[in-house]
Amino acid sequence: MSHNCSQATKQLYQYLDAELDEKTASSLKSHLEDCGGCSGSFDFERRLKKVITMHLEEDMPEDLLAKVRALIEDEKTVGSGY
Amino acid sequence: MADQANFERDALQYSRQLYSAAMRMARNPADAEDLVQETFLKAYRAYNTFEEGTNLKAWLYRILTNTYINKYRRDNRRPSEVDLGDVEDLYLYRRIGSEESADAARTTEDRVLDGLVESEIKEAVEGLPENFRMPVLLADLEGFSYKEIAEILDVPIGTVMSRLHRGRKAMQKRLWEFASQRGLVPEGTERP
Repeated sequence: MSHNCSQATKQLYQYLDAELDEKTASSLKSHLEDCGGCSGSFDFERRLKKVITMHLEEDMPEDLLAKVRALIEDEKTVGSGY
Repeated sequence: MADQANFERDALQYSRQLYSAAMRMARNPADAEDLVQETFLKAYRAYNTFEEGTNLKAWLYRILTNTYINKYRRDNRRPSEVDLGDVEDLYLYRRIGSEESADAARTTEDRVLDGLVESEIKEAVEGLPENFRMPVLLADLEGFSYKEIAEILDVPIGTVMSRLHRGRKAMQKRLWEFASQRGLVPEGTERP
């Protein structure tokens, strides 16, 4: 079965999220190779997803890891009955 | 069963990612720090129930998510700032322009994608109601599969897919508003 544009758009996120089975993904991929309209929109969505991921990341406060380790140390002490 | 002695070695490598997710959930650094600390403490206490060799990252996210829901949900509920109604597919792309040439449209796409700033992206995600924000975070920040997200959030996979779909479209609508307010897009151009 090969994709038409409306089926392709419906499965866009599943495709970008790598959630389609191999056969469906390859049929969708061959539609994208033939269809300038869909390859334009898929390309845009792929780039948007990357931009979103990049901007959602956050630097962790420097001392957070030390605080976590200290909490766990305390817990070990409690746990061993001292 | 996992050995508590290995907890720090195995689990703490995920701290930066957990903190990013915690920030998008709690929306402020103090609560995000608390959330991460509490998550690791609970995880440490329960580590002997974790089955070694299974998905540790997903297990930690499940604890993080549940901790957030139990601890902050009550005071963090606020009205949705985004439109979760019937937003059409490719909302942003279709609005970006049907300019005379493909090159011009491409230029506008680049301007939008390069021009959206961190605060706008964060606001678009944080404005989503929790049910929609969680799947978007888990998929787009962490790259979890739909199946993993379903397990972390304890909802059916179909629910994950539909919330992810609607959440992403609602975000696009918000991003479009930001882009037009800042003049990143030419007025009155819409793809047919």
